[in-house]
Parts: sequence; C-alpha cells; structure tokens
Amino acid sequence: MTDDVLSSAFDDHRPPRLDLINDCVHCGFCLSTCPTYVLWGEEADSPRGRIYLMETGLAGEPMTDSMVQHFDRCLGCMACVTACPSGVRYDRLIEDTRAQVERRHPRTRAERLLRGAIFRLFPYPRRLRLLRGPLRAYQASGVRRLLGPLLARTPTLATLESLAPRLRRPERLPERVPAVGPRRAVVGMLTGCVQRAFFPDVNAATARVLAAEGCDVVLPRAQGCCGALSVHTGREAEAQGFARSLIDSFEDAGVDYLVVNAAGCGSSLKEYGDLLRDDPSYAERAAALAAKVRDVSEVLVELGPVAPRHPLPLSVAYHDACHLAHAQGVRAQPRQLLADIPGLSLREIASAEICCGSAGVWNVLNPEPARELGDRKARDVLATGADLLVTANPGCLMQVAAAVHRAGGVIGLAHTVQVLDASIRGLPAQSLLHS
Amino acid sequence: MAVLEDLRAACGDARPAGDDDVIAGVPARFVAAPGSADEAAAVVRAAAVHDLSTVVRGAATKLDWGSPPERLDLVLDTRRLTGVVEHAAGDLIVVVRAGTPLADLSTKLAAAGQQLALDAPLPGATVGGTVAVNTSGPRRMAYGTVRDLLIGVTIVRPDGVLARAGGKVVKNVAGYDLGKLVTGSYGTLGLITECAFRLHPVPEAGAVLRRPVDGPAGLRTVVSAVLGAQVVPAALELDVPAGGGLEFAMLLTGVPEGVRRRVATARALLGGEVAVSDAEPDWWSAYPWGAGDVGLKLTAALSRVPDLVAAGLAARDRHGVPVAMRGSVGTGVLYAGMPGATDPAAVAAVVADLRLVAREAGGHAVVLTAPSAVCDGLDLWGPVPGLALMRSVKFQFDPGRRFAPGRFVGGL
Amino acid sequence: MTSATRADGAIPALATRLRAVLDPAQVIDDRQELRTYECDGLAQYKVIPALVALPHSADEVAAVVRACAEAGVPFVARGSGTGLSGGALPHADGVLIVTAQMRHIVEVAPADERAVVQPGVINLDVTRAASPHGYYYAPDPSSQQICSIGGNVAENSGGAHCLKYGFTTNHVTGLEIVTPAGDLVRLGGRAPDPPGYDLVGAFVGSEGTLGIATEVTVRLVRLPEAVHTLLAGFASTDEAGAAVSAIIGAGVVPAAIEMMDALAIEAAEAAVHCGYPDGAGAVLIVELDGSAAEVDAQFDDVERLCREAGAFEIRVAADDAERALFWKGRKSAFAAVGRISPDYIVQDGVIPRTALPEVLRSIADLSRRTGVRVANVFHAGDGNLHPLVLFDDAVEGQSERAEEVSGAILDLCIEHGGSITGEHGVGMDKVRHMPRMFSADDLDTMQLVRCAFDPAGLANPGKVFPTPRLCGEVPGRHRGAHPLQEAGIAEVF
Repeated sequence: MTDDVLSSAFDDHRPPRLDLINDCVHCGFCLSTCPTYVLWGEEADSPRGRIYLMETGLAGEPMTDSMVQHFDRCLGCMACVTACPSGVRYDRLIEDTRAQVERRHPRTRAERLLRGAIFRLFPYPRRLRLLRGPLRAYQASGVRRLLGPLLARTPTLATLESLAPRLRRPERLPERVPAVGPRRAVVGMLTGCVQRAFFPDVNAATARVLAAEGCDVVLPRAQGCCGALSVHTGREAEAQGFARSLIDSFEDAGVDYLVVNAAGCGSSLKEYGDLLRDDPSYAERAAALAAKVRDVSEVLVELGPVAPRHPLPLSVAYHDACHLAHAQGVRAQPRQLLADIPGLSLREIASAEICCGSAGVWNVLNPEPARELGDRKARDVLATGADLLVTANPGCLMQVAAAVHRAGGVIGLAHTVQVLDASIRGLPAQSLLHS
Repeated sequence: MAVLEDLRAACGDARPAGDDDVIAGVPARFVAAPGSADEAAAVVRAAAVHDLSTVVRGAATKLDWGSPPERLDLVLDTRRLTGVVEHAAGDLIVVVRAGTPLADLSTKLAAAGQQLALDAPLPGATVGGTVAVNTSGPRRMAYGTVRDLLIGVTIVRPDGVLARAGGKVVKNVAGYDLGKLVTGSYGTLGLITECAFRLHPVPEAGAVLRRPVDGPAGLRTVVSAVLGAQVVPAALELDVPAGGGLEFAMLLTGVPEGVRRRVATARALLGGEVAVSDAEPDWWSAYPWGAGDVGLKLTAALSRVPDLVAAGLAARDRHGVPVAMRGSVGTGVLYAGMPGATDPAAVAAVVADLRLVAREAGGHAVVLTAPSAVCDGLDLWGPVPGLALMRSVKFQFDPGRRFAPGRFVGGL
Repeated sequence: MTSATRADGAIPALATRLRAVLDPAQVIDDRQELRTYECDGLAQYKVIPALVALPHSADEVAAVVRACAEAGVPFVARGSGTGLSGGALPHADGVLIVTAQMRHIVEVAPADERAVVQPGVINLDVTRAASPHGYYYAPDPSSQQICSIGGNVAENSGGAHCLKYGFTTNHVTGLEIVTPAGDLVRLGGRAPDPPGYDLVGAFVGSEGTLGIATEVTVRLVRLPEAVHTLLAGFASTDEAGAAVSAIIGAGVVPAAIEMMDALAIEAAEAAVHCGYPDGAGAVLIVELDGSAAEVDAQFDDVERLCREAGAFEIRVAADDAERALFWKGRKSAFAAVGRISPDYIVQDGVIPRTALPEVLRSIADLSRRTGVRVANVFHAGDGNLHPLVLFDDAVEGQSERAEEVSGAILDLCIEHGGSITGEHGVGMDKVRHMPRMFSADDLDTMQLVRCAFDPAGLANPGKVFPTPRLCGEVPGRHRGAHPLQEAGIAEVF
C-alpha cells in the first residue's frame, strides 16, 4: 500500500541469498522461456529482471507495490532454471522472496480476502469434497448460463468456474493395497487435496498401477495437504505446519518410497529438508522423508516394468507439468512409460517449455494472463492433432481443459498413470477418451 | 597552367586531356594517373583546391554507364595503381590495388588454387571499377557479390583525405561498413585505391547442364524443382536471345565425386533434353548487348522472375523491339538488351513496361547504358527508396559535388 | 550533445507526450523498473535511463523518436538486451526504446527465400518459422534463443556458422528504419541490388547510431540435405590449430569450425555435462553441410586430416540429438564459465587464422605472467577469438589485472592485423580501442555517414566513436580557434 522509504525490502530471516543472485551473469537466456516475458516483453517481468529487483532490494531499495507486483506475477514455473547456463537457483530465490513479501508487505483488502479464501479451501480435501455436491448440481442445472454476465465481469470467478472439473462418482481407497504377484517394494502414496477431491480416479489408477508393478501401497487415511501451494505462495509458516503433519502421518508407514502423482506436490515434498531446516525436531526427519519421494513415473522406471502392457492405439500429446519437468527434472520417464505401450504414438507439443498458466493458484490470482497462456497452450496442444492429452498435474489438466473448451477444441484428457492403468488392465482406448 | 603544375606536383603523370579522354560524350580537360595512394590523395587535394570536377577511370569498360557527368575537368586514371599488396593464402584473403585488372588478379590467385569469386562480364575490367559499379555474374548465387566479398577498403575522399574501413580479416564489425557504402556508388563518394577481399578455393570439379525451356511457365517449373532439391547449384542462368527460344543452364561445382552424383540427380530432375559438359555456354556471364546498345538491369523477388521474363517477351512483341534477356534466375537478377539504333520512344516504352513489372515484383529496372539519344529525357534509374538519405550521405562526402556529378541516381 | 544546455523539465514533458502517443502502460518511469534496464548483457556498465518506451509498431517507434528529436533528448534502442558490448547501455538523460514487444513475424516467403520480421523477433524463431518450409535463417549467434533480429542488425551479429554463410549483413536485403529525425524510410527490399547507395549495408552494424530498424527483410537459406559434425579431442591447441589449417588448406569450406581450450572445456562440462573427450587440451567441432554427395565426399578427408594432426579421439554425431550435445558445450561456454570463476570478461577479437597458434601462445604467456586465467573459445575457421578472462572481483586488484589482460589481448589482435571486434560490436566497451585500429581520418570518414543520418547526434550517442564529430563542420585543418571554441562551447585538450 505505501512505500516504506526508509527500510530496505528484505529483513534477515531467509532473504533471497546474495551468493545465488551473483551467479546470474545477465546473459538473458532465461527470457525466452519465461511465460510473463513471452506475454509482455518487459524486463521487470523476466527472471533476469526479478533477480535484479531482488538484488536492488538487498542493496537497500524498498519493497514497493511495483516490486511486489513483479514478484507476484512470477508463475514459479522454473523454466528459467532449466534454461540457465550458469545454474542460478532461481527457485530458491523466488521462494525466499515470496516468503518475505508475505510477511512484510501489506496487501489490499481485496487481495487478502481472495488469498484467505483460497487457502481456507484448497489445502483441505474434506472442504473441497463438500463442494462436490453443490458443484455437480450447479453443473447439471441451467444456473451456469445465467451466471454468464457476472462471470464475464469477474475474471477470478470465471477462472474458478471454468476450471471446475466434471465430476464422477468417487472410488474409496483402502489404507493398504497389496502388491499383485511378488512384492518388490512398499510405497506410501500421497492422495493430495484437489486430486483426492476432484480426481479420485487418478488416485485409484495410481494405486492399481503401483500394485500391478509389485508394490504394496500404503495410503494413511490421516494424511493432509503437503503444503505445496502454501510454499509456492510464500506462506512459510502455514507450509511448515502442513509439512510437519504430513511427516507425522507417514512416519511409521515403513515405506521405501513416498510416491506422488501430482507434480506440484512432488516437487515440494522433495524440498522438505530445506523447508524445515531450522526446526531441530523435524529437520532430519524431513530430509529423510524427502529422500524417499518419487514421482510415480520415476519409481515405475526405477523399478522397471513387470506388468504386461496391452495395446492402446492412440496418439498422445504429452504435456510436461512445470513442477515435474523443470523442478524435478523428470521428463524422460513419463515419455518412456508411454512409448512402451504398444500402439501408442507420442507427439511433442510445440513450445513445450512454456507453462500452461496454471502454476498452482496463479491462474486464480492472475486470471487474464493465465487465460492467455492457457489459450496458447491449447492452441499448441490441439495443433498436434493427438487423440489424448496426457499430463501429470491436476492443475495443468484443469487449466488446459478449460482453454481447449474455450477454443472449441476436442481432445481427451488423462493423467499418465491412467493411461498405464488402462494398458495394464487391457481397457479399450475409448475408455480414456471420455473425460 | 597552375592546375597542371599542381597535378604534376601531386603525381608526376598528369597531362592535358586528349581526344580519347571523353566520358559519356563529355570531354575532359586533364588526366592524372597517380602511382600510389598518397599520390592519389595529393591529386584529389589539388583537384579540390581548383574545384575540378573529377571522374575516375579504370579500364573504361563501363564509362558509358549512368548519366553523363554534368561537368568534367579531371579524369583520374587508375592504370598505375596496380599490384597485389598482400595475398595471405592461408587466411584466404588478398589485398589488391584498385587499378589491377580482375584477370591479372585471377591469374595470380589461381596459382595458389584460390579465386576472387567474382564473374567479370566485361573483359579487362579493373578491381576498382568492379567495386564502384558492383558488377556481378552467374556465380553470385554461390558466392555473393562484391558486397559479400569485400572486407576492407581504402578510399580517397573528395577532400583528399585518405581513409580506411574494414580490414584484412573476414570477421570484423569495428566501425561502419564503408566498403558497402562505396560498393556500387559509381565513383560519387571518392576514389577507391585499395581493396581487401575474402577468397575461396577454386573448386576441383565443375559441370554445366543445359536445357531448353518453353516459356516463363516452364522456367518456373524447372527453377522450383532445382531450388527444392539439394543439388546446390553454383549458378542458375537463363538466356533469351532476341530471336527467340529460352535456354536454361545450371553450374555445379565441388569435389569430383560430389559433382558426379549431383549431375546425375540434376539430370533426372530436369528431364527433357539435357546437355552436360564441363564448359560454360558462349553466352555465359556476358551481357546481352554490345557496345553502343541499350543495356538494362532487372531485378525481382525470386518467385517473380518468370514474370519478368514474360514481361520482356511481351514488350518485345508489343513494341516490335528485339529485346534479349539473360541472367541469374537463381537470384533474381536479369539483364536485358536492345539495339542501340532502336527508336528512343520505343526504348522508353519498353523500359516503362519492364519497370512496372519489376516494381510490382519487388525489384527494379535500371537502364545501365544507352546511346545519348536514348538517354535524353529517359529516367535511367526509376524510383529510388531512401534517396533523401543518399543525398545527405553524398553531401557529407562531397559537398562541392565534384566527384562524378550527375552520373548516379537522383542526379547525385 | 549534453543535457547541460537543456532545461530540467524536458523529461517529464516528454513522458507526458509519450503517454499520449503510446498507451500509458508502454511508458515506464518507475525508478525500480527503470533499473532493470540499466545494462544489457554486459553488466559492467550500468546507466539508468530517464524513461523507457515499449512501442508496438513502426509508427509508434517513429512517434517516440520524433518526440525525442523535438525535445532534443537522446535515445538508445534495445532489443532483448543480450548484447556484449554495451550497445544498449542507456543514456542517463535519454529514452530507452525497447523493441521487445515488436515480435511479429510478418511473412515467411520461401518461394522468394525471404522472411519479413519485426525487430523484436527472436533470431531462433525465424528459423523455427522457416524450417517447416525447408529453409532457415543462417546467422546463429550463441544467444540465438533470445537475441533479437533488430539487435543482430545493429551489431552485424555472426555466430559459429558464419565462416561459410556470412553474417547478418549478408542476410539482410531490406529494412524499414526510423531515422533519428523520426521519419520512416524503406531501404532495399526483397530483390537484390537496389539502385543507389547500399544504405542497408551501411546501416547493418552501425550499432543503433543511424536510427532504429522497425522491419527487417531477411534472406532464408535452404536447409542442407546433409549435416555431418565431428568432435575431436587434441592434446593441445597447437595440434588443433594445425588440423584447422590442414582442413582449410585442403580447400574444404566447413560450415563451422569451433575450438575450445582446456579451461573452457572444464567450464562447459560443469555446466551442461557435454562429455567432451577426457583430458583434451583442446577440442574441435567441425561441421560440414550441403548436398549429401559433397558432404559425404569431404567428410572422410576432414576426419583423416584431424587424425593426422594428432586427434586422440574423434566422435561423429550419429543423429541430431548427438550433434546438439556437441554444440551444447560450445554454445553455453560463456555463461558456463560462471561456474568455475566468480567473475569474468568475455573478450571478442579477430586475428588472421594463420596467426592463431602464435596468438594463443602469447595469451598463454600473458596468463602465466599476470596470474590471470584465460579460457579460450573461438571460431577457429575465421580467427575470431573469445578469450574469457577469469577473475574474482572480491579479491583486490584482480578486476584491474583482468582488464589489463583483456586489453592486451586486443593489442595482440591489432598487432597481427586483425580486429578489435569480430561480432560483439564496439558499443560502449571498445570505444577507447577504436583509435588503436583506425586513424583519426578513418574515424572522421565513418562519422560523415553518422552526420548524414543523425546531424543532431541523438541516436545512441557515446557509442562506437570516441570523439563525436560535430556535423556541419568542414573537416581538415582549422586556422585559428575552432568556431565552437570561439562560442565557448568546446575546449581543445
């Protein structure tokens, strides 16, 4: 709200690190992969520019509305980390910066209300589940049409509305799913929040596939949110609280791996050690759990496939979720798993490194640019002419689905693991195309 | 006379003009032939002091190009500014004085298996004249023209100051590229005394394929096929004699095995009656006109070249003028010729037709040379984008308008 | 042109005017945002611009420049801000005109072998747009995934493949420019050899001092049928250099020959894990392209020549992926050096190729004498060196020593008849070296062109030339005091 002219932008509690900032040689290779630079062509909304703002902030510049706006606009997609030849840890920098912003920068009332509402809802699977009923009713009724003019005027609401997935009957998962055949590993499975509430079939498919590949799957019923959305939005204390609870719920599960089927969650879980490094009672346990975290595609390739695959004669466009490709470096494994399915042809999407615009709750907080990015991605996806779009994150799935729908296009949507599940179970390709 | 004394003091070889010292019909008063860059600078300084209008003459192969000079006092002859200054074969560069005939340079370079990859449409032409007018031939398709081969230049400005730009290395972006500026400037910005060029190895093998073509449509098919394939021709030429018939010719160069295979591919590609030989046709690299005739340069975007050819054929019929055409269908540069005795009105009509089509095709139609009866009242150059800026440049280099005044575009 | 003679209100008034001409969002005067533009790819020089404008069209560029001209305010153009000579370094009392939002590819015309693009279009995007048609845009600077065509035009950028294909100037046939007075002018076009002076040729490489390009017509080149790339490891740069000489001497014109020395290899390895041959004192990347018939015939010779020169390991790229990996190390070299040294200077100089071994030896001596490490990356085929002078700014005196070494290398280039810049341009960085390469008369003559385009001296002032030429003065000797001295405006030092 007001410029604090006297004090510099960052305080001493985990400011963005100067040594990391100094790794930046200003080459600009990150610009062409940054979604906000692609949209607006302005230096301050590029990774190089944001790093520059951080540096000036450390050197005494105040945390102004303008500076905060540029940090807020960052999607956190980390395409820049992939592109950077100097190895700048921008992911670390933006996380520390966002935490500082959350603590130190006064937001407008409207912003606070919106953020508050988001974080009272999304990290709580039970609350999300309570929405299912009303949402189904809403989708079934004609109310949607009546709301048109209201939605047109309130982009945030329109985004939420467009993202709401079509709901089906949820499957209930047991707390332990035994391996099919000889047991090769015991894995814990994160059931998530949005995934659990709105895409329960993805969780069911994940459990089945893991079991089919010889894993006992442990799904502690007490598990809650992993805190990814909070971490990525700078809500440090909230994130740490979620992390501690999650560590507790998997503590005695005795698992070799903690398997995750949502890219954003997986990337966050792998960094638990860093998140809780200042907490002596959790630091070691956090690091230990983090070391066990695997994306489902990672662990399946690591173990090596044993379950026979049945053909799926489909053309598939695989979309790299940012938090899987850029944050975790997992690109080859999903492609390998898909390519190993007989009859399946894999197509690459143009401009694959550019985020779809979902970026956690970024699309809710920045609806107009998110829409533009979604439209671009939909255009590139539809240009592949593929039957099915496969991706590993519920956020991406919702964002691209909405954009494809806006473009009047038609394409099937599935999580990587659902494709594997269909192939292992010998389901017809059609089963994946009704989404 | 004070003028002659000063000129002799500057360079030794200075004399009153003779009957042969006439440029595009305009007689000169003096001729000076400096033997070095310093002498050349001294001559130009003397000319400046006496406000002498100056035109540079090399081998006089293109003196009839452009408009006649508005006034002419001094012919600056470059015949003594000859010789190779440096040939660094290992670096593939040569530095040569501007008065050196291209043919002499070629011989010297060939001894080391290298070449300045510039065709010489007019035998005897000097390096300086070639650069000043930016002449080129069939192999521009493979190697570019002067503008792509010139890497350094030394000039004497109209005020007599000696200046260098570029250098002796191919990769060089220090300072402005004055070499490009003086290339094709028709001697209006000063005297070129020395040029540095990048060289190429002389190819080990070559072959020419020839085939008649039945018209612009046939030409389009053939050229598209060749450009779409991967035979990488060094030149793609078309000859359209005034009497009729179109002949297409392709030059392939490279290593013997490579050429052999590409000839086979090209032959199959072209189809029809293809003649293969290791010698170029008689008409190769020569302008389709003789001394005293009308000569035009026509350019167009590559896809529109067949339209230019069609326009030439149509103009021939419409105006009853024997128009001959010849040139690079691979780069979009054609030359057209008409007999010198052609009625000036008919010439003007043909030029107007061709200019219209060339403009619409993204290029230009320029009358390079014509008898004075034809030149009178004829716009030789057509519209020249950026003319105002060109005037500014000319004014900076030659505020007194003493170098080749009126010879070039827009009366520059 | 200085601001001393201009009233203080010029900038705010200009800002108001610009906001009327452009959308207000396209004019930046927020200090923090202005600071993000204070340098380009050369972070050593920083100047905060007074204003930043982001035009969307040629008309908007013209309007901005006209407004600057009428206010007597200097302007500097910037594309992606990745230049390495400080060419886009702003003027403290001027407007930085950023073309990053002008990134529309107007037309790809493969039948004419041309493409028409706005200046903010990224170099690699031209190739991406042309490749489906079987063509590409040949000049390939290492920063091509982000550098803009407008910037390429300003600097006459090269790249690894310019040995065979030439530089930007050989691939631009037409321009639309805004002159420093604010007029839109078309030069050249699709067809070759436009009549009159080659102003396109004069403009390319003029580093933003003659105006701003608002549309560029580029030449497209046919995608070659065959590309063969080899990576060869040598014990030393001498041997690698001998291989290069042998290849050139054999009459082969490779599409590219690149060399990296041991230190550069170490950096690249740390950054991108390119897996170059273990223990190599130098690696060569040699690429041949063209018709399969020619390339097949020549490639075996090239391999043999490398072996004969002492290559202890030769890898031939089996496919595009492997070729990309060979190049990855080379293309990331500059930024990768950041991993083995806290700070570094990227130098850019040219020597005749035959002088390579000697110059490299001199650089090695220099390095030993001064204790300053130098990693070498270069376009071996055309003698364009990129010594990376490493130092640690935190250690006293290292930065100065590095500057000395960097300057000494340029001296070597000039001594051997080369150039002070092969690709990166003079910009701000090499202004002081220009008099070592060119005489006062040479520089004066070049500035005649500048006076023709920009008599008011508003286009990127302070770049390229050490001493601005006062336009309109008569060159040559003056008797008595210079008119400006008499007017009390200029002093003679």
